[in-house]
Amino acid sequence: MALNDEILVGAYKKMLLVRALESKHKQLLAEGKIQLMGHFGRGQEAVSIGVSAPLRKEDILFGTHRGVGEYIGKGMDPKDIWCEYMGKRTGLSKGKGTLHLTDKSLNIPFVVSSLGADWSMAVGAGLAAKMKKTNQVVLYFVGEGTCNQADAGPSMNMAALWKLPIVFAICTNQFCEMSYMADHFPTADVAPRAAGYGIPFEIVDGNDIETAYEATAKGVEHARSGKGPYCVEYKTFRMELHFTGDPGGYVKQEDLDEWGKRDPIDLAQRKLFDRGVLTPEKDALLRTEIASQADAAIQAAFDAPFPTEEDLLTDVCEEKGVL
Amino acid sequence: MARTITFMQAINEAMAEEMRRDPSVFVLGEDVRVGAFGQTTGLVQEFGPERVLNTPICENALAGAAAGAALFGLRPVLELMFCDFAMLAMDELCNQIGQFRYVSGGNYPCPVTIRTATGAGFRMAYGHSQSLQSQLIQAPGLILAEPSTPADAKGLLKSAIRSNDPVIFFEHKKLLLGGVSGEAPDGDYTMPFGQAAIRKPGKDATVVAFGFMVYEALQAAEALAAEGIDVEVIDPRTIVPLDKATIFKSVEKTGRLVTVEEGRLRGGIGAEIAALACGEYFDLLDAPVQRVAAPMCPVPGSPVLEDLYLPNSKSIVGAVKRVFERG
Repeated sequence: MALNDEILVGAYKKMLLVRALESKHKQLLAEGKIQLMGHFGRGQEAVSIGVSAPLRKEDILFGTHRGVGEYIGKGMDPKDIWCEYMGKRTGLSKGKGTLHLTDKSLNIPFVVSSLGADWSMAVGAGLAAKMKKTNQVVLYFVGEGTCNQADAGPSMNMAALWKLPIVFAICTNQFCEMSYMADHFPTADVAPRAAGYGIPFEIVDGNDIETAYEATAKGVEHARSGKGPYCVEYKTFRMELHFTGDPGGYVKQEDLDEWGKRDPIDLAQRKLFDRGVLTPEKDALLRTEIASQADAAIQAAFDAPFPTEEDLLTDVCEEKGVL
Repeated sequence: MARTITFMQAINEAMAEEMRRDPSVFVLGEDVRVGAFGQTTGLVQEFGPERVLNTPICENALAGAAAGAALFGLRPVLELMFCDFAMLAMDELCNQIGQFRYVSGGNYPCPVTIRTATGAGFRMAYGHSQSLQSQLIQAPGLILAEPSTPADAKGLLKSAIRSNDPVIFFEHKKLLLGGVSGEAPDGDYTMPFGQAAIRKPGKDATVVAFGFMVYEALQAAEALAAEGIDVEVIDPRTIVPLDKATIFKSVEKTGRLVTVEEGRLRGGIGAEIAALACGEYFDLLDAPVQRVAAPMCPVPGSPVLEDLYLPNSKSIVGAVKRVFERG
């Protein structure tokens, strides 16, 4: 599925929104106005939007802790994200999940707490889709660091063994938390591991929304047609530290300079100008519009009510007497 | 009407009946098409390989896969062959499965049932013999069931499969393999969680025993009766939720409490019940609570040592006598 003008514009807007939301998050933390730490994905927006935009509403997405990209990409409302981030009662988890974002209406289960606990949950979701013949695809979005978790192998193995409709989408952003990838991997690429389970894979430029989107769309089509799982590795670079408490000092300036030349939003903008879909004037307007959309969503979350003591012990179990 | 079935049959029938009743129920686990101990034997012939799924050997990933299927509309019954192996799935069991409902604000309940065999007595030493129920009582959101009779095993397992909460279901190997049989109701029935059974009424001391230990407690009760001590034996049937009302109504009558479990002493289920007794029901007690449990060493392989390790009717008799030493 080629990235037509309409989809490209939509993806570009979402990339701008993701960056606006994360920049605002960073600013609010710096100003001491919020407590929730951030794991930002600046520089990776083409991947997070590229993996989520080709999905149908009913498809299942297991996302990562890094920023809001894939959640915006699949259609989450920034206000819902921020109400939850701030632990408000109006959040989709009633403020009980904060950064463990969830949206049942979009088939986005919560972000798990232990990196990779959801490898196998994606297998189960794929099994449910297959057994119930729902025609859904599961997109499992994961960073390369989490590909070293013990469940990665068994999960790819089961997905292939049972021919499940799963796309394993690996975002190789060159860092595993606070280490360069080379400290964790004996190889430059991760996706070839999928071949060991008989899963077809490809490795693409993750900073180009076009290649990222099209590779995902191909994988999704493969999975939906009953051919079993597919794996895509997207090469990109994390322009932020692991999280807001990360002391840093380990990122090489030359890498930041080099990858900074290929910022995914700049690349998408150039593509839109080249295609004649967008003009610099319209782009400036669009950016202002999106910045105020982000501000409004965050302000709405500030204004929303917190949960109360009555909410503490609800939603633990349906069964009585377990507390 | 009632009929006599074995404990093994009870487990098998519960799964088969629920699979007939609800197409979203399926069984998965290592070698379930054969049935390692025999609980799942014959299911594949009736329900086919798609609903009786042999899995690779990867316990944590199996628990996660079962949970993932449960989040999206299925009711998986996962067999983890030994509860010792369930420890390989501790991330899913303790960090994940029981907490999904809460962390999703009630949006993602996880109706999964995980069955696992517990218990020693087969000379299999340290890693195939443990009773690790108490490892899971700290995890919020999990139901823990441990039946002692075929009727309870069937009724509780059917309830577990129908429950919208995750249930960990403990099956003692001696109950499975020892040919333990008993009367069970005909036809379709379920059994509520959190309702203890009084296996033997008595007035002098309350003995709370779980799973296979119920039989040891009943033997102890018989021996004590010969000495004029009339104990009440309570089988809680589920560890979470725990039927505090029945236990402490009994203690109100007897004033004396002994807990019995096959798991180890430190931080065990008995410790939890004793803490409840001290914190909430202290005025009912005429004597300190006694706990019968395994010692804090690995399960030994030698028959002589394993028999010394295991709590039994004699150690229960000793504990009951100790609660009469004061008061």
